[in-house]
Amino acid sequence: MKVKIISIPVLDQEKALQFYTQTLGFLKKTDLPISENSRWLTVVSKEEQDGPEILLEPAPNHFEPSKIYQKALFDAGIPYTQFNVDDVQAEYDRLAACGVPFSILPMEMGTVKIAVFNDTCGNNIQLVQML
Amino acid sequence: MTHYHKEIIRIQRACYANQTQLNTVIGARNYINCHFQDTVSLDVLSRTLFMSKFHLLRLFRRYYGQTPKQYLIEKRLEHAKHLLATGHSASDTCYQIGFESPSAFSTLFTSRFGISPASFQKRAIFTK
Repeated sequence: MKVKIISIPVLDQEKALQFYTQTLGFLKKTDLPISENSRWLTVVSKEEQDGPEILLEPAPNHFEPSKIYQKALFDAGIPYTQFNVDDVQAEYDRLAACGVPFSILPMEMGTVKIAVFNDTCGNNIQLVQML
Repeated sequence: MTHYHKEIIRIQRACYANQTQLNTVIGARNYINCHFQDTVSLDVLSRTLFMSKFHLLRLFRRYYGQTPKQYLIEKRLEHAKHLLATGHSASDTCYQIGFESPSAFSTLFTSRFGISPASFQKRAIFTK
């Protein structure tokens, strides 16, 4: 078995695509129409284009429990997933300058530095830097 | 403050209160990051960080979930991928990342990534 795709539920696929590519810097990999309002939409890390794809899936709009789960995580401030970066402070500075809201500012926690931001599509995402 | 933020602070106080230990293991990891192409052993780390090698081994495993040697190998193999992708031969890569035996390097690389160093290099160049 291999990990090829992880999914992130998003409330608006087009808005998510703009955020994940233009703000975070991911690259669009696959964009296929599935139905009238849904696409098979994946992005990849610019530094690891052969790495796992992130599927921006519109589950919250089609399956009520998914929407409830996503909202519960979001309201508790719990990250839906996390991305590794070389320098959390530098990413925080860059994203904050773009207007991205952070619920946890860069802080050290043991052997990692973390920060948590709002992806504007219904999720908290954690940035992690190994110290 | 969110529930998650409170939990982070609680875990930080419960698990990461000993800053001296943290500084030591972070120092060990940084040393490996800077010297992975050289000979790095537990003896070298222990002398550099003024700590018993057994204590250092225990602390590193506790805070990073792997031994210094496991981390060193991981670091070397990641750098190997970079070297191979930029055109270095398998044997050149082997010596540059601090391995002494090309066959041991090839076996380890293949077992870790499911592809031999030579095949990885060809694929990387072909994909460019």
